[in-house]
Amino acid sequence: MNELLQAASMVLDAEVILVIIAASLFGLFMGAIPGLTATMATALLVPVTFFMEPLPAIAAIVSATAMAIVAGDIPGALLRMPGTPASAVYADEAYLLGKKGKLGLALGINVTCSMLGGIIGVAVLALFAPRIAEFALQFTSDEYFWLALLGLSCAILVAGGDPLKGAISMLIGLSLAMVGMDSVSGQMRFTMGSYDLLAGISLLPVLIGLFAITELLRSLPGAGQSAANVETPKGKLLDGVAGTTWRYKGGVARGGLLGTMIGALPGAGADIASWISYAISRKLSREPQKYGTGHPEGLVSASAANNAALSGAYIPALVFGIPGDTVTAIIIGVLTTKGITPGPDVFTEQGALVNAIFMVFVLANLLLLPLGLMAIKGAGRLLAVPTGVLYPLILMFCIVGAFSANNSMFDVWIMLGLGLVGVFLMENDFPLGPLILAFILGPIIESNFMRSILKSDGDLMAFVDRPIAMVLAGLAILTWTLIIANGIWKGRQAGRPGKAKTVA
Amino acid sequence: MRTSDAISGSMAAALGAALIVASADLSPLPRQVYGAGTFPKVVGGLLLLMGGLLILKGLRQRQALVRWSGKVAGRPFLLALGAVVASVIAYVLLTPLLGFPVVAVTLLTLLFLMYHRRGWGRALLIAVMATAVIWMLFAQVLHVPLAPGLLEQVLY
Repeated sequence: MNELLQAASMVLDAEVILVIIAASLFGLFMGAIPGLTATMATALLVPVTFFMEPLPAIAAIVSATAMAIVAGDIPGALLRMPGTPASAVYADEAYLLGKKGKLGLALGINVTCSMLGGIIGVAVLALFAPRIAEFALQFTSDEYFWLALLGLSCAILVAGGDPLKGAISMLIGLSLAMVGMDSVSGQMRFTMGSYDLLAGISLLPVLIGLFAITELLRSLPGAGQSAANVETPKGKLLDGVAGTTWRYKGGVARGGLLGTMIGALPGAGADIASWISYAISRKLSREPQKYGTGHPEGLVSASAANNAALSGAYIPALVFGIPGDTVTAIIIGVLTTKGITPGPDVFTEQGALVNAIFMVFVLANLLLLPLGLMAIKGAGRLLAVPTGVLYPLILMFCIVGAFSANNSMFDVWIMLGLGLVGVFLMENDFPLGPLILAFILGPIIESNFMRSILKSDGDLMAFVDRPIAMVLAGLAILTWTLIIANGIWKGRQAGRPGKAKTVA
Repeated sequence: MRTSDAISGSMAAALGAALIVASADLSPLPRQVYGAGTFPKVVGGLLLLMGGLLILKGLRQRQALVRWSGKVAGRPFLLALGAVVASVIAYVLLTPLLGFPVVAVTLLTLLFLMYHRRGWGRALLIAVMATAVIWMLFAQVLHVPLAPGLLEQVLY
C-alpha cells in the first residue's frame, strides 16, 4: 500500500503529467502521418528522454507509442492509407465503413477499442509481471542465457518471410554488438584502432539510423506531392460506438488478451497482434462474409489487440530485461543508460517505480480517448501538413539526436551508415526487428554464457543441469526446429513454378 | 534496389569470414578454451553457413542479379538518397567550422527548396524558425553542446 501511494505521488508530479501530454501529442502527430511509425516516434524521442529521470522518460515513450498506434488508424479510415503498420490490416475495413457514411462510427470504434485494449493489456501486465518476477528471482546466468537465446529465436520465427534472412539479420545485430571492449576479458574487439569504437557502438545512433533514417529514405522520394482533400467526419463522433462496442464485447476482450500475449512474445509487436486478432475474429464470427465490406466486428478486436500488444511487450522487458518488440528494446536501452537494469530485481528493489510505470500506462491509455477524438476532428489539418517540410525537419532532428547521446560526430556517421544498411536490408526483405533485438540481447547472451562457463570450469553440460534451464533449453530447441521446418517448407513452396514470386 | 539472394548471401558470408579472421588473435581466458574470441567465431561461422545457404537459394531460383523493385521510381529514390547522404556529410564536416545555426539553416533551406517548392523566401523563413526551435530545445533545454560557430558573438 505504501508503495502504491509512493508510486501515485511519483506519477502525479507536474513534470510527469506534462511529459505524458506532450509525448501523446507528439505520438499523435507521428502516427497520423502515413510513413511515420510508432518505432520512429520512439527513436526520435530517445535523445530527449536521455536527459530525463527514469519515470518521465518511460512515460514519454509509453504515451507516444500508445497514441501513435491509435492515430495510425485515422488516415487508414480517411485515406485508406494506414498511418502505422499496426493499422494496415483493417485500414480497408474502416475506409469502407466510412464510405457507407459511418466514418464517425469507424473512427470512434478505433479510439474506444484501442483504449479498452490498452487497459486490458495494463491489467494483465500489472497482474502477472510481479508474479513472474518472483519466479524469475531463482534464475541464474544459465537461465538468462537460454532466455535471451529463446527471445532471439522467437524474433526470427515471428518476423515472417524467409527465416534464413531473419537469422542473418539477427547475426548482423550480434556482430554489431560485439564491437568494443569485451565485458568479460576486457580485450578490444573489431575496433580497427578507432578510439571512438572502444566503448562499442551506442544504441541511439543505431536506432535512429535503422528506424528513422531508413524510413525517411523510403518516404522522402514521394515527399512534396500535395495531399488529397480529406473529408472529416461530421456530427456526433461517438454515435453508436458504445452500442457497437457492447455488441462485440467478446471481441474486445479476446483482442485485448490475445494482443497482450502476442505482444509479450519477443519480436512480435502491435502489427502482428492486429493481423492475428483480425484473422481469428473473422474465423469465429457468425457473419464472416461481411468482413472486408465495412463491418465493424473485425475493427473492434484488431483495434483492441494492437494497443494491448504495446503493454504486453513490457512483460518480458521489465521482468527479464528481454524486449518484446522494438519499442521495448529501446526502453531497455534507455533504462540501462540510467543505471537501472531491467530484471526481477527491479520489482523488489524499485517496487514504487514499477507501480508508477503501470499507472503511467493507465493514464496514457485513458488519454487516448480525448486526444484521439481531438485528432479525428483536426484530421484534415493534420494530414495537410506538407511532407516536403516535415521530412527535412525529421532529418535535421535525426542528426542532432544522434549527436546528442555522446556529443560525438562519430555517432552521426554510424547513424548514416546504419540507415543505408537498413534500406538495403529492407529492400531485400531482411527484417530489421531481429537485428535490433540481437544488438541489445547480444551482450546479455555473451556475458551470461561466459559467466556460466567460468562457474562450471568449462563444462557445457552445466547449461542444462537445472530443471528451469532444461525447460528453457528445450523450448529454444523446439523454436529452432520450427524455424528450420518453416524454412524448408517455404523453400519447397518457392521451388514450385509460379509460386516463386510470392515468397521471393 | 533488390539484389539476388546470391549477392546478399555472399555479403553475409563475407562478413562471417571477416569476423572469424579478425577474432583469430583474441586470446581465451586463462585455463579455458572459451574467451573473447568464442562468440565472434560462432556468429561468424553461422553467418558463413546461412550466407552459403542463401547463395544456393539465389542460384537455384536463377534470380536476376540486380533489379529495381521499389514502389517508387529509381530517380526520385536516388535523389532522396543523395540529398540525405550529402546533408549528413555536409553537417558533419561544416558544423565544426561554421557552427550549427548557419549549417542547419542552409541545409534546411536547400531541402525545403527541393521538396516543398514554394520559393526561396518561404523556405528560408521556415528554416530559420525550425533551426531556432531545435536550438532552443537541444542547446538551451537539454544542454547539448551544438557549436554556435560564426554566430557565437551574436548568441552569447
